[in-house]
Amino acid sequence: MMKRILTVSLVILAAASLRAQNVIDLIISEAMVDNTSSVVDDFGEHTPWVEVFNTSQGTVNIAGCYFTDDPSNLTKSPIVKGDLRTKIGPRQVAVFFADGDAAKGTFYLNFPLREGSTLYLVSNDGRTVIDSIEIPVGVPEGQSISKFATDVKELVFDDIHAAAPSPRSVNGKHNQKSKAEIVKENDPHGYTLTIVSISVVFLALLILFTIYNFSGKVFSGQIKFRNPFKRNTRAAGVASLPAGGCDEEIALAIAMALQAECGGETEAAIALALHRFLSESTHDAEPFVITIKPRSSSAWNDKTRIFRKQPR
Amino acid sequence: MGNIFDSLVQFWQFTGFANMTISHIIMICVGIIFITLGIVKEWEPLLLVPIGFGIIIGNIPMFPGLNIGVYEDGSVLNTLYQGVRMGWYPPLIFLGIGAMTDFSALISQPRLMLIGAAAQIGIFGAYLLSILFGFAPNEAGAIGIIGGADGPTAIFLSSKLAPDLMGAIAVSAYSYMALVPVIQKPIMLLLTTKKERLIEMPAPRVVSQKEKIIFPIIGFILTAFIVPSGLPLLGMLFFGNLLKESGVTRRLAETARGPLVDVTTILIGLTVGASTQADKFLTGKSLLIFGLGLTSFIIATTSGVLFVKLWNLFLKDGRKINPLIGNAGVSAVPDSARVSEVVGRESNPKNHLLMHAMAPNVAGVIGSAVAAGILLSFLG
Repeated sequence: MMKRILTVSLVILAAASLRAQNVIDLIISEAMVDNTSSVVDDFGEHTPWVEVFNTSQGTVNIAGCYFTDDPSNLTKSPIVKGDLRTKIGPRQVAVFFADGDAAKGTFYLNFPLREGSTLYLVSNDGRTVIDSIEIPVGVPEGQSISKFATDVKELVFDDIHAAAPSPRSVNGKHNQKSKAEIVKENDPHGYTLTIVSISVVFLALLILFTIYNFSGKVFSGQIKFRNPFKRNTRAAGVASLPAGGCDEEIALAIAMALQAECGGETEAAIALALHRFLSESTHDAEPFVITIKPRSSSAWNDKTRIFRKQPR
Repeated sequence: MGNIFDSLVQFWQFTGFANMTISHIIMICVGIIFITLGIVKEWEPLLLVPIGFGIIIGNIPMFPGLNIGVYEDGSVLNTLYQGVRMGWYPPLIFLGIGAMTDFSALISQPRLMLIGAAAQIGIFGAYLLSILFGFAPNEAGAIGIIGGADGPTAIFLSSKLAPDLMGAIAVSAYSYMALVPVIQKPIMLLLTTKKERLIEMPAPRVVSQKEKIIFPIIGFILTAFIVPSGLPLLGMLFFGNLLKESGVTRRLAETARGPLVDVTTILIGLTVGASTQADKFLTGKSLLIFGLGLTSFIIATTSGVLFVKLWNLFLKDGRKINPLIGNAGVSAVPDSARVSEVVGRESNPKNHLLMHAMAPNVAGVIGSAVAAGILLSFLG
């Protein structure tokens, strides 16, 4: 039962994460009604156009979604399915022409774009409005209504105003300069980046050092935490072995004594391993160690061998 | 008769002999040198032999348009090269490295991690020099990472920051990794005194299995939170190590450190080699990159050794660190640690530095991945 709940939860989580890179990541980034000098459509005509931008880092297929300028009819102009070009790449745009003739192709709306209207992009469920853009009356000639990102990192397009049209390219500051160009401008010799980077590398390893220095002290017994619930299950003989900071010295002494007496490194290693295992329960589990456990039963009377497993 | 002659002339035009230039011959010679160094000198043969052969493959003169070259869309070599270009192979190699590496030395002596950080100065020294020589910041970052002495990281970062320079950067990084003993030893001897080379360090404590399991989890969370852009490398490195140490995923660990890393090494070596086509590789920029790469290695080794010497001024006797392990801060695992051991034993045959040197060595792997993440977040 628990497994099923976990599986269902994982599926829901996965679905939610897929949803995060779906049509809800699309926005109407730009629209132009009075197109006299901007982009031309496939027939060489200057027609009103609208640009859709994919804000996510994954490819989104806009097919099946709708455009409308009528809130009471959300499925006014459907975007046909089956055209591979409707897949919009991460942080890429698609331009649709709005002269009212959808028969011209996939990227044509069946209503003309007009000033003073609001254009809606509706999800493929036909109910959810994903994004909208208001096209005011009196947009200066040769300009489009564009959304710009004030927060480049989060791509929040909350700055909407008339500007020079930029169809098929991303609006906003993030499209103007690359990070390298910004670094070149602000730090032409590279000193700042060098100092910051070295500091971060040191900081990262310093934090790791601090943590492992502390954990090392805990594991080697230099720092002890009392557990009031822990039962003392050690054998009486073993319990008399002192634990803590002097373990290393005792282990070393035993090992050296055995080394001197027997002259064999094997015995010393065994003694050291036994001591550590009994006093600290530490076991250096190397790969490829074969543990031989005595079996009390033979192949003839062992139930695990003579009984067949119950089918599930 | 005339038709036969025309056909032969046409066939001749398709052969490598007709399309050969002096650049092709130079590059083929470079490939043969790489293979010779790998087989005869046994300098990093697992890298130099595939790269060397790849250089020969990439520089067979051919008639363009046959759809067989590494830069021709859809060709076999081009498809395999996508793993380098898109940065798939380096994280897979890091997975293998993680599954191979025993971090015990680092866990038992965490203070030696800082040497791994100091050696990364080589990366940023080369970055500054590259900018001085007129490279753009993103190109300088990609060139600088050669100083990390980490081939997969160099490929990963250059594929993101400067794809055009990737061939030269990758070949440079792997060449210098193969030459670690040749480059580092004289610097170490030059910067240390006889007395310093004799310093004996206390034996590291025994590390419990529990600590080994916790290390990759905590290590990954911390470093990835600090530098999320290093996620592909750091994630795979620590995940591979968790597979090794968990004790319950032996099969996965064996695959990661065995067949998977072998296959990836073959593909990365061969395709990186093949990407060094003479017309794209034999340029003044490539030579400059080789020079800067060597400089970054020298700076990295120097800063590691000098950092230990400086640190020793503040340490009591008995806690002092042998500066011969300073070179191991670069992440050429385990070659640079092996150099520490060899040079250390030349001064004192009883002084084994290998286990101590492994600590900064594996810290160097983490450090270079962190450095790559920082450069990527600033310049990518």
